[in-house]
Amino acid sequence: MNIIPQIFQRRKIDRDVADEIASHIEERAAELAAQGMAPADALLAARRQFGNATLTAEQSRAVWRWAPFEELLANLRYAVRQLRRAPAFATAGIATLALGIGANTAVFSVVNAVVLRPLPFPEPGRLVSVASRNTRGIPHPDQLSYPEFFALRRQNAAFEHIVSYRDTSMALSGAGDAVNVPAQIVSWDLFDALRVRPAAGRGFRPNEEARDQRVVVLGYRLWHERFAADASISGRTILLDREPYTVVGVAPRDFAFPFENPAVQLWTTLAIDARSHTKQPLTEQAGSRFLQAFGRLRPGVTIQRGQTQLDSVAAKLAREDPDNYAAVAGTWITPAVDSVIGDARRPVLILLGAVGLVLLIACANVANLLLARTAEREREFAVRASIGAGRARIVRQLLTESFFLAIAGSAAGVLLAIACVRAVTRLAAGSIPRIEQASVDAPVLAFSVALAFLTTVLFSFAPAVRLARIELISPLKEAARGNAASGGRLRGAFVVVQIALGLVLLSGAGFLASSFAHLLRRDAGFRPEGLLTFSIGMPNELTRGAAHLPFESRVLDRLRALPGVTSTAAGVPMPLAGHEIILSFNIEERPSSPSNRPYSDMALVTPGYFRTIGIPLLEGREFTETDDGQSEPVLVVNRAFADKFFPGERVIGKRIEPGATADGVRGGMREIVGVVANARQDPLGAAPDAIYYYAEKQLPWCCLHYAVRTSGSAAAIQSSIRAVVAQIDPTAPVYNIHPMEASLSDAYRGPRFQMLLLGAFAVIALLLTAVGLYGVLGYAVLSRTREIGVRVALGANPSAVLRLVLRQAAVQVACGIALGASGAAAGNRLMKTIVYADAIPQSFLVFAACVVIVITATAAALIPAKRAASVDPVQALRSD
Amino acid sequence: MMVLRTLQRAPLHGYALAQQIKRLSNDLLQIEEGSLYPALQRMLKDGWLKANWDVSPTGRRIRVYRITPAGARHLEKEVSSFERMLEGIRFVLDGNQSPEQA
Repeated sequence: MNIIPQIFQRRKIDRDVADEIASHIEERAAELAAQGMAPADALLAARRQFGNATLTAEQSRAVWRWAPFEELLANLRYAVRQLRRAPAFATAGIATLALGIGANTAVFSVVNAVVLRPLPFPEPGRLVSVASRNTRGIPHPDQLSYPEFFALRRQNAAFEHIVSYRDTSMALSGAGDAVNVPAQIVSWDLFDALRVRPAAGRGFRPNEEARDQRVVVLGYRLWHERFAADASISGRTILLDREPYTVVGVAPRDFAFPFENPAVQLWTTLAIDARSHTKQPLTEQAGSRFLQAFGRLRPGVTIQRGQTQLDSVAAKLAREDPDNYAAVAGTWITPAVDSVIGDARRPVLILLGAVGLVLLIACANVANLLLARTAEREREFAVRASIGAGRARIVRQLLTESFFLAIAGSAAGVLLAIACVRAVTRLAAGSIPRIEQASVDAPVLAFSVALAFLTTVLFSFAPAVRLARIELISPLKEAARGNAASGGRLRGAFVVVQIALGLVLLSGAGFLASSFAHLLRRDAGFRPEGLLTFSIGMPNELTRGAAHLPFESRVLDRLRALPGVTSTAAGVPMPLAGHEIILSFNIEERPSSPSNRPYSDMALVTPGYFRTIGIPLLEGREFTETDDGQSEPVLVVNRAFADKFFPGERVIGKRIEPGATADGVRGGMREIVGVVANARQDPLGAAPDAIYYYAEKQLPWCCLHYAVRTSGSAAAIQSSIRAVVAQIDPTAPVYNIHPMEASLSDAYRGPRFQMLLLGAFAVIALLLTAVGLYGVLGYAVLSRTREIGVRVALGANPSAVLRLVLRQAAVQVACGIALGASGAAAGNRLMKTIVYADAIPQSFLVFAACVVIVITATAAALIPAKRAASVDPVQALRSD
Repeated sequence: MMVLRTLQRAPLHGYALAQQIKRLSNDLLQIEEGSLYPALQRMLKDGWLKANWDVSPTGRRIRVYRITPAGARHLEKEVSSFERMLEGIRFVLDGNQSPEQA
């Protein structure tokens, strides 16, 4: 069909048809007149006989059209005109939709970045995380030891590569100021497995895992910042931890490994772990599980098949060496991208669900607006129908108006989302992986457009159905006496649903807020005010055995002499640092085989640590300077440890034997000499973690972190600390220097983000619901003005009228609450899975949410109710 | 089909066409104007008809439709298929009577 010329001929065709029909009627009239009828009567009779001339003309023209498209254009033009003529309605509708769609777009951009986006490597679907399966207690993934990793790597045919990696950090000196660089110790085939070509030089080679090799690949950023992007860097020797390393390559610009961790800027081979640092190189210690691993499956190999192969390797190891492997006789293989998403999936999806409810509420509001408008326009539609518009055409017209509203709303919403995404990502940075990558890009825009369609269907369905059902002519006869009753019920139903959804959101937000408040209020177990922590990148020759002890005590002494410093100490891990060292032990009274031993967190501390951090001593004594390699082996435990492993007993004097070893350290049983309060290792954990403390001199592992308590501001002393350390050793960088209060507040970023976002959604929902209720009641009052006027004229007093309107509101609110309460309970059960502590009983929270709803609803209902009560009967009766 | 057949006899304008059909069918068939004009446009579009503005003997500006060769072919096809259908209907009606006759 040649549409283009037809469009140009359009005007001619339209004119022809119109002329032709006019001529037809005239001819008929002339004929009738000739038969003796008066000319005016003849014309009327001819018209009557012809029927609906406009409709006929339209149908005739329609033959020529690519009808749906042209009608859409016409409808759109009409829609814009209509909306321009009702600016209040248009603004309210577009703003409501912009809020709903904008919030959804923003949250979806987060979901897209965090959950949906694949890893940025070729064929990311074949990349999997490889861990061992620890079946002690609830089965959970566990890290690997080197001997285990070597066995898995060698004895399978399902993987192209299996790559081990572990965190470390290295002090780079000789290239500007000494700086500490986050680094990874990896097996040789990291870059091959990821299919990444270095930006310069090459990746590692298999022989570079040998004990004497020291090779490194630089991160792109480090290469720029410290080596001026020197193209001839390959082959150069640089100093890391004061040891010479040969640079073999530079990673590409956007390369991030571990996945999505841009901080790491150095990669070296596991050769460094093969040196004999302690009695046995790490690469030979079967019991030291600290390796993470990922693999690339061969093409066509499923995760299940890969796992089956690795399981049989693990099972064989467990048979050969049950002491080390009995508890980990299987493997745990998951898509590698899951290791990036981690625990973030559920909170992010819950937020998406919550924001979806906001959209539903927004849709209900717009549907109500449209219903009201449809009712107002019934006369217009009736007129249009009477001059020849088909009913379907009118419904399509309405749908077009709705769609235009949705498009305008989503355009505004997308702008809103673009503005919000940055704020949202800043709020959550560091607490949700990959969230920095969230942006309004093509898939997100596609999502918004889909939302626009969906919302159009949702909110214009009701008005369209209503229009299709009503008698289009009756409004003309009724002179718009208003048949609000039938529409009113539907609109009331929308308000009920809104109230129910609002209740779910509100109680969910209340739940998060109360648990967050509890989190802030509860005792961290130590005093973060005035406390500053930092780390020092130690030169390599000082990290062997007890070589770092003199350096450490020099630093601590010099720091203690600084003005304002009240005490100093060192320890690893510090509170809030998480479960960095978990070690099993044997209890003297209840000995067990190595694979069945209990385990808990452990830490190494200097004397004065508990005082400096602010952990109260509950029983027994602290460590002293005399707790060293020569004296009796001792331990201090926390309250949670005592309660967990020695419930109801006096723990002082009990003896346990932890598995930790070091050169010149006596093995055997160690006596518990003190009990301290529970300082939180995991700031978000439900219960405090059991932990036991070594005196550092009795287990001289390098390297501890430093803690300084000041009487003044913890932030002010940072530069003096750097100066002190630089005086002692200019090649040893100070890093991770943070006031403890900042670390504590960082730890709460995740829950704070969830709470603020859900709170914002709840507030939006509440506002929209209030507006919806106000609109429905306001409209009801308006359309019943005459009835109210009659009532007042017959003697009803204003308070009775007030009650009349409020009763309508009360019924809707009650229905909404009844419907929403069970939803709220279900929502809160879901919340519980992402929340750390629930301080307040759920029923109370739901009740509180109901109270807020009732108050808001009352406020929203009072305005129209007051207006109804002040109706002047004379005016009301004249109003039509 | 009726429109095409009528126009095959002589080119006509819309009003005359309606009158003609009414007359030819002995007032049995009264074509509705509401469906006549859309139908004419459809046939114009399909190339079965051509239309020209003309002036009637009474001095009225009229649009005269005439059948094209394509329209004639279509009419023939329609007529023959209609006749087949009629034959079929007659056959069924006769068939219904035959048991009584037997």
